[in-house]
Amino acid sequence: MRRFGLIALVVALVVSACSTDTDTLTVYSGRSEDLIGPLIQQFEEESGIDVAVRYGGSTEIAATLLEEGDRSPADVVFTQDPASIGAVALEGMLDPLPIALLSRVPERFSDTDGRWVGVSGRARTIVYDTTLLTPADLPATEDGLIGSEWQGLVGIAPANGSFLAFVAAKILLDGEAATLAWLEGMAANGSPAYSNNSSIVSAVADGQLDSGLVNHYYLLRRLKEQPETSAANYFFPEPTAGSLVMPAGVGILSATNNREAAEAFVAFLLSERSQRYFASETFEYPLIPGVPANNALPPIGDVPTPEIDLSELATVLDRATDLVTQAGLL
Amino acid sequence: MTVQAPWGPEPAVKVVGATEAAPPQSRTGRKAPWWMWVAGVLIVLPLVLPLVFLFFRVLGASDAALDILFDLRTAELALRSTVLTVLVTATAVAVGVAAAWVISSTEVPGRKAWGVLVPLPLVIPSYVLALSFLAASGPRGTLATVTGWDVPVLDGLPGAWLALTLSTFPFVYLMVLAALRRLDPALEDAARGLGASRWRSFWTVTLPQLRPAIGAGALLAALYTLSDFGAVSLMRYAAFTTAIYAQYAGRIDRTPAAVLSVLLILIALVIIWAEQRTRGNAAYHTSRPARRRSRQRLSTGERIAALGFLVSVVTLGVVIPVVVLTTWAWRGARVGETVTIDWGAVGGSLVGSSLAAILAMAAAIPIVVLTVRYRGRASGWLERTVFVTFSLPHITVALAVVFFAVRYLGPLYQSLTLLVVVYASIFLAQATGATRASMLQVNPSVEEASRSLGRGPLQTLRSVTVPLIRPGLLAGGALVFLTTMKELPATLLLRPTGFDTLAVRIWSAANELFYARAAASALVLLGLSAIPLYFLVLSTKESSE
Amino acid sequence: MTEALPAIECRGLFETYGDTVALDDFSLVVGKGEVVSLVGPSGCGKTTALRAIAGFEPPDAGSVSIGGRTVFSEGVDVAPEKRRVGMVFQEYALFPHMTVADNVGYGVTEEDRVERVGEVLDLVGLTGMDHRLPSELSGGEQQRVALARALAPRPEVVLLDEPFSNLDAPHRDRMRRDVRRILRDAGATAVFVTHDQSEALAIADTVAVMRDGHVVQVGSPLDVYQRPADPWVASFLGESLAVEGIAENGVVKTDLGSFPVDGSVEGPVRVIIRPEWIVATPAANGEATVIDLEYYGHDQMLVLELAEGRRVQARVGRRPVLERGDRVDLEFQEAVVFPTD
Repeated sequence: MRRFGLIALVVALVVSACSTDTDTLTVYSGRSEDLIGPLIQQFEEESGIDVAVRYGGSTEIAATLLEEGDRSPADVVFTQDPASIGAVALEGMLDPLPIALLSRVPERFSDTDGRWVGVSGRARTIVYDTTLLTPADLPATEDGLIGSEWQGLVGIAPANGSFLAFVAAKILLDGEAATLAWLEGMAANGSPAYSNNSSIVSAVADGQLDSGLVNHYYLLRRLKEQPETSAANYFFPEPTAGSLVMPAGVGILSATNNREAAEAFVAFLLSERSQRYFASETFEYPLIPGVPANNALPPIGDVPTPEIDLSELATVLDRATDLVTQAGLL
Repeated sequence: MTVQAPWGPEPAVKVVGATEAAPPQSRTGRKAPWWMWVAGVLIVLPLVLPLVFLFFRVLGASDAALDILFDLRTAELALRSTVLTVLVTATAVAVGVAAAWVISSTEVPGRKAWGVLVPLPLVIPSYVLALSFLAASGPRGTLATVTGWDVPVLDGLPGAWLALTLSTFPFVYLMVLAALRRLDPALEDAARGLGASRWRSFWTVTLPQLRPAIGAGALLAALYTLSDFGAVSLMRYAAFTTAIYAQYAGRIDRTPAAVLSVLLILIALVIIWAEQRTRGNAAYHTSRPARRRSRQRLSTGERIAALGFLVSVVTLGVVIPVVVLTTWAWRGARVGETVTIDWGAVGGSLVGSSLAAILAMAAAIPIVVLTVRYRGRASGWLERTVFVTFSLPHITVALAVVFFAVRYLGPLYQSLTLLVVVYASIFLAQATGATRASMLQVNPSVEEASRSLGRGPLQTLRSVTVPLIRPGLLAGGALVFLTTMKELPATLLLRPTGFDTLAVRIWSAANELFYARAAASALVLLGLSAIPLYFLVLSTKESSE
Repeated sequence: MTEALPAIECRGLFETYGDTVALDDFSLVVGKGEVVSLVGPSGCGKTTALRAIAGFEPPDAGSVSIGGRTVFSEGVDVAPEKRRVGMVFQEYALFPHMTVADNVGYGVTEEDRVERVGEVLDLVGLTGMDHRLPSELSGGEQQRVALARALAPRPEVVLLDEPFSNLDAPHRDRMRRDVRRILRDAGATAVFVTHDQSEALAIADTVAVMRDGHVVQVGSPLDVYQRPADPWVASFLGESLAVEGIAENGVVKTDLGSFPVDGSVEGPVRVIIRPEWIVATPAANGEATVIDLEYYGHDQMLVLELAEGRRVQARVGRRPVLERGDRVDLEFQEAVVFPTD
C-alpha cells in the first residue's frame, strides 16, 4: 500500500517532468493558506509545476466558481467540506476523477459519481473548557445542547462551511422540522456566533466561552502552540449529525486545460507524503490506508459517524442556509 | 436740468465708471471637448455598471429569492435596522445640538479646545469605537480589571447605539454649529427683550431656525448608521449590513445577498433624496449678520453642567477609546500575546490609500471642470451620480462590483487594481468637493486667455487650470487617503487574497476576540490618520485666512 | 490704407441666449492696421461680438473670417487657439502662478522666445519686470502685461474688452494714450469694446456704433460725431438737444430759431443741436437767461432758460465771462437735421 503511494508519486513526477505543458496550475482553495500553503510549496518543488492559489472560504470559493462558470480560470478546486464541493459538482462543473485516484480512499469519503475525492478527514466535535466542564457534562447528541442549562455557553460559526455541512447532514438524518427546531433552540439559547472555527477555539482557550461546535483539529493546533491550554475535544458517542466525519474534498474542473497537472496535484494530495503532512501538521485524519492519525485522536473507525451519503449534502446545502437564516442565526 | 433726449434708452449724460456685469462662471460659449465627456463617463462607469447589473440580476431572480423580500426574517432585519437608526439619530441630534449650542453660544471656558476635541470621533472608525467599548466592558475588560467589579459586556443594541452615536453626532454638531454662526442675533435679543427666558428663547426662536441644519445632519447620521458594517458586526447586532455579509459569505447562491442589497440601496436612496432636499433649504441663508451674537453667561451651576456635558462627550468619544486601546495593547505585549505590528497590513493600508487618493485626484479634474465650467443637464447628472455612489452603503456597492467582476472582469476580480478603482470611485465625491472649491475661484478668463494664446483645451488644463486648483486637489487627496484607510466592508469583499489593511486586521482580530492585537493595530491606524488630518486642518486654516 | 484682405470680416452674425437676442445681423469689416472701437450701451452685444470673433461664443449663424481665412461659417468652427487672435480681458486674466516673462511668453512658440518677450516688454515699457508675479503689479502694470502677452505671438488682430474700465480716472487717460501708441508702434490691428463714448472717439481710427445686436453706423470719429446716422446715435455719442421743426425752402423753423438747411429737405424734421454748436452773446434783452454755469477752466457749460421755460445747454469757451442771471442771445452754428416722416 505504501508502495502504491510511492509509485503514484513517481508516476506523477515523471508525468509532470515529461509534460512540455508547464502552464501554471490554478487552484481555488477553501482551505486556508496557513494550513496547506507549505504543502502546495512542496508540490511545486517536486513537480516543477507553478501553482497559483486563490484562497477564500469554502462557500465563497464555490459561489465564485458557480458565478464564473465556464469562464473560470480554475483547474482544481479544494474545499474544506463536501457540501461546498458537492455544490460545484451538482452544477456539472467537475469531471469524474481517474479510478486510480479514487480508489485510494474508502468509498464513503468520496463522491458517489467520482467527481471529487476526500483528501483528509475531519470530525465535528465539541471543544470545551476543561476547567469548567467534564465529558460527563456533555450530551450524547447535539440535541442535548438546546436545553436551558446550556444558555449562552455553546459557540457556533453559522456562516462556516463545516457548520452548514453539519446542518445539511442533520436535515438528511433528522428532517427539516427537527433541524429547524434545533437551530431555533440554539438561537433562543443565545449561543454566541463566531466567524469561524478557530475563533471559537480561541475563545474557549482564553476562558471567554465554555464550549463550541468545531472541527476537531483546530484545538490540536492550538495545543501544539500552547500546551497548557485547558481545553479538550469531545466526540459525540452516538452516530448523529454532530459526530459527522467529513473529508476535505478536491476535484478537477471540466473546463480545465491543464488536466495532467491537475491530476498530478490530486495524486500528490493523496500521496503518503501529503497524508503524513495532514496527520502531523494539520492534525486531520489521513484517508489513505497505512498512514496513522495523530495519537491524540481516536482512530477514525472508532468515531461513530452517521450513515449518510456525503454526496447528498450538497443537495440540501441551500436548505441548510435557509434554515439557519430562518432561525435568526445568519 | 439737462434736456432728455426722447429717443434712446440712455439719458444724454455720460455714465462714468460703469462696467458691464462680470460674465457668469460658466460661459454659454464653446462646448466641452468630447474627450472630457468620455473621461467623465468612464470615471463613473466602474460603479454605475455594477449597480445597474445588480438591479437587473435581482429583477431576473427566481421567485424563491424574492421570497426573501417578504419573509419574516427580512422584516425583522428591517425592524432592527430601523430601531437602531432611530435611536442613534435621536441621540446624535441631542448631543450634536447641545454641544454646538454650548460651544458657540455660551461662555463656557475652554471653548477653543472643546471646538477641536468634540468633533474628533469623526476620525475614529466606528468599528474602533465599538472595539474600545467591547474591550472596556465585560469580565476581561479594562473596567473589570481595574475595579474588580462584575461588568457586563456592552454589546448588542446598547453597544451599537453608543458607538454609532459617537460616530455620527459630529455630523449634526458641525452643521448646527455653522447654522448658529449665521443666525441673526436680533431675533433672540428681541425675544429676550419681550421677556422670554433663555430656555424659552432657545426653544421658540433659535431652534426653529436651526431646523434645516438639524434635519440635514440627522439624515446624514441616519444614512451613516444604516450603512455601517464594522460596528454593528462587532457588537453582534444583526442588521441589514451584517445580514448581507452573512448571506454573501455563507451561501453558495448569492441571490439573497443581492436582494437584500438592493433593498438597502433603495432605502438609502430615499434618505439621500430627503437629505438633499433639506440641505437645499439649509443652504439658503442670508449673509453673515452684521453683529455677532453675544454669548450667554452661565451661572456657576450651569457652567459645571456644561463642562460636565462636554467632558463626558469627549471622554466617551476620545479619551476612553484611546486609553482602553493603549492599555490593551500594552497588556497584551507584556503577556506575550502576538501584538507585533502587522507590517503587511500597514503596507496594505498605505499602498491602498495612496493609490486611491492619487486616482481620485486625477479623476476629480475632468468631473470638476465639467460641472463648474460646462454646467448643464449632462454635467448635473454626472455630479449627482458621483454624489449618490458616495452615499450608498459600501457593502452594497462592493457586492455589486463582486458580481459584475466575477462575471465580466475575470482576472480583475480580487485584484488590487479593482480595489483601488472602487475606493477612488466611492470616495470621489470628497475629492471633487474639495477641488470644486478651488475651481470656483479660478476666473474662466484665465483659461480663455490661454486658448487665445494658442493652447488647446488639454494644454490649458495642464498649464493653467490644474496648477491653480492644486490646493483643492491636494486637500481632496488627503481626505480620500484618510477615509480609505478606515474603509472596511468593500475591502473585505474585494481585496486580493493575502492583501490586508489595518482596517481588516482590526476587525478580524476584534471579531475573534483578540482585543490586544486589534488594539495595537487600531492605535497604528489612528496614528497614521493623524498625518493627513494635520495636513487638512492646516490647509483649511490657510484658505480661511 | 487698408490692404486687399481685411483683418476681420464678420457677416450677418446672429446669436440668441434663451430669450435674449445678443447679435442681430451683426456685420463689421476691419482693415489691416486699423484700430476700431466698438461702442454701444450695455447689453447691446458688443462683448458677444468680440467673443464671437475670438471663438469663445460660436454664433448661431453668419460667418467670420480673419486675415482672409474663414474661421466660422456653416460647418466651420475653428477653435480659439487656432485663430491667431490675441485678447486682452477686462480683468486682465494674467496667469497668477507664472512670472511676467512666463505670462508674456506663453503664446510664443519660437526658439527666440526670450528675445521676443524682451522686445514686447520694452514696447509696453515694462523692461526688467520679467521675474515679477502678477500679484506684485499695479493695475496699470498688469494691463500692460496683458497687452504684451496678447501682442507677443504676433496675432492677426488684438481684441480688447473694456480695457480701461478697471482703472481709475487719472490712470485711464494716460493708459489710453499709451495703449494707442503701443498698438500703433506694433502695427497691430485692434478692436476694442467700450461703452464709454468719449473713449471710443478718442482712441480709434474707426468707430462702429452698436445697438441691439447690430452695427448702426461705422465711420471715423468725426463722421459719427458730426454726422450721426440717426437721432439715437446722435444722442448716444455726446450730448445733444432735439427740437422739432419744419423745413421749407432751405430754412428750418423751430421754436428756438431758424437755421439754414440743405434745400432738398422739406417738411417736418427733427433737429439735433450739440451744446458746442451754440454761441452765446451777452445782450441786455437777450432771449435767454443764464440759470446755471459749470466752469471747467478751458470751457464752460451754460444752462440757459428761454421763453416758455424752455431749457438749453450750451458749451462755450472761457469767454465771454458770464454769471447767473445774465441775459444772452443765442446763435446756432450747426445742426443735424433728420426728416421725421
